[in-house]
Amino acid sequence: MENTVSHALYILQEPVQYVCLLFMASLYAMKIYQLMKKPGPPEKAELKGDRYAGAVHSLANVLRPWGMESTRNHMYFYTEFVIFHIAVALTIGSTFLIPLTPWLMTPLVSKVIMVFMGLAFLIGLRRIYRRFTVPEIRIISSPDDYFAITLMTVFFGVGFVTMYLWIQGRPETGWMWIFFLMTTFFLLYVPFSKISHYVLYPFGRVMYGQIFGGRGVLNRNVRGN
Amino acid sequence: MADPAEFKAKQEDTKPIKLGTQEGRKWPIKEGFTPEVLQKMEELLPSKLNRIVATSLAGCIHCGMCSEACHYTQSIPEDKKLLPAYKADRFRKWYKYRYDWMAKVFPSFVGAQPLTKELAEEMYDKLWGGCTMCRRCTFNCPMGVDYGMLVRAARGIMCEAGRIPQHLQDTIDTHYNAGNNMAVPHDEFVETIEWIEEELQDEDGCENYTIPLDKRGAKYFLTLNPREPKYYPLTIQATAKVLNAAGVDFTISSRYWDLTNYAMFNGIDKDAKLFASWIFDEMKRLDCEYLLSGECGHGYRGLRWELPNWLGGVPFKITSVMELFARLIQEGRIKLDKSAWDGDVFTYHDSCNIARSGGVWEEPRTVITAAVNDFREMEHNRENSFCCGGGGGALAMPEFSPRRIAAGKIKADEIRATGATVVLQSCHNCTDQLKEICEHYKIHAKVMNLAELLSEAIVIA
Repeated sequence: MENTVSHALYILQEPVQYVCLLFMASLYAMKIYQLMKKPGPPEKAELKGDRYAGAVHSLANVLRPWGMESTRNHMYFYTEFVIFHIAVALTIGSTFLIPLTPWLMTPLVSKVIMVFMGLAFLIGLRRIYRRFTVPEIRIISSPDDYFAITLMTVFFGVGFVTMYLWIQGRPETGWMWIFFLMTTFFLLYVPFSKISHYVLYPFGRVMYGQIFGGRGVLNRNVRGN
Repeated sequence: MADPAEFKAKQEDTKPIKLGTQEGRKWPIKEGFTPEVLQKMEELLPSKLNRIVATSLAGCIHCGMCSEACHYTQSIPEDKKLLPAYKADRFRKWYKYRYDWMAKVFPSFVGAQPLTKELAEEMYDKLWGGCTMCRRCTFNCPMGVDYGMLVRAARGIMCEAGRIPQHLQDTIDTHYNAGNNMAVPHDEFVETIEWIEEELQDEDGCENYTIPLDKRGAKYFLTLNPREPKYYPLTIQATAKVLNAAGVDFTISSRYWDLTNYAMFNGIDKDAKLFASWIFDEMKRLDCEYLLSGECGHGYRGLRWELPNWLGGVPFKITSVMELFARLIQEGRIKLDKSAWDGDVFTYHDSCNIARSGGVWEEPRTVITAAVNDFREMEHNRENSFCCGGGGGALAMPEFSPRRIAAGKIKADEIRATGATVVLQSCHNCTDQLKEICEHYKIHAKVMNLAELLSEAIVIA
């Protein structure tokens, strides 16, 4: 697909993105440094299981919805979660593919991304509704929670239209500008928002896995005393 | 005239042995969250933020998936503020106010709040009286937020600043001052063990059974929950009977035998280490191979998993009677007659500290299925078991008792559904809570531990 853009859009899609990406990466590095400075959980007890295997098991938890009661009993919610996060990955991916390797954004690839964006948009709407209407969720929600999900939902909506126009051979539209302006905003804003939870995710899961893996709770190939 | 040195030595011999620390401590508990208390809490916060606690404070995404995991929310659904994420947020808001980048500019945007009297009071209510640190929500959290560690850190801050339920701290002070948490004096303990031994020897076929005190070089050093010598001596008798029948070489210390460690509940590591070090010293003195935890939930976890961390490692092995009983059965060292319990229906409650935080859940089932014919699982069992409501020191906080009993409803419902006439467990806090909820929810079931179960079914050669 030969989609070419103006110099102005190129500036937004490439140099601006790189600077913002660097900014985000720096903040994440600071966040991780601050966390790693703190004392880690000691484990001097004789182990019954494998801490490493426990960490891997725990990290892979996201792929085993049957592993937790909270996902096992709510498979619909889990499916939404999976689609939403695949859409996040594809959308982020598309912000790189569009300026850097536009030839990879074939109609088929673009349609797949568009479908996920569309589904994620609907899921986002449902999650906003849930946050407003389920009492126990409402009382724990901060403005950041509402803003983050709203922002993501709008981003998916804009992305959906942008992809549709891209497939039509219209790379430089107002929608594409909005899409990349939002991407820029995300890169600057996310380190300060709850959306940055994915940076903490591996730490939380690995520590959980190490503790309970070592104790033979997660991996049942336990060694006897 | 007697030699003064000899006279002094004689006096030393007859003087009651003072256990615990030399000074008498009474923790300075403050009446409320005064500005001084809040200031102290502010100073203490950084010291409690290890990597797990910091990740758990920063990592919650407010997805609400913990809502069905908690026995409080399941049993008291009308009170939405018992949601684990909400309870933890009482601490998290303050943490964010201090450490979150966005909160430096827009605190309310990320739900951050300065530590005020009102926030601290809510933290006190929810984290002392609304959480048993059972970690069931942790097991259901997609982010791996460790609520148990987070709540313990918050409790430690409040406690050090002087805000802790009086009776809970009294229990810890008693342990600190007397060497065990019920202030059982050395002489009284020795007499109790001797009396139990006599009672055991009166049982048919048990004439030669003993409960060795301070036997150096024994294979197992058996530790006890103070409720046993104080209120449930028959459980010591039952344990000793099983160990004797299997020919297990064990001993009990006449000095430091208390396996409990309520400092796990108030979050004061210094005390937790001190209590653990007494047991460690006794292990060295008695030169045993195994430190053997009696049937006690937090006590087991404290000895098996936390003591080596508090003390930087140990040169001996640590196990529990639950695991030992299972091994004795598997090795054929004890014979059981299942018909001894015919007519009864059994279920087993997994103590959170033994199962979810300790990894021991098949061993009790090995014991039970070897001893009874009719065993029925509760709907949620093993690592998925609901807390009975008596964990986290809840039984030592009478001001929260109505909520504790209400929170036991989900467990009571599950017990009732099994049709059990006997609820088995391996924890004294669970014993008391299960007895209370069975009575409150009108369930006609006895509550019993594994040693008592085996003691009745064992065939004496």
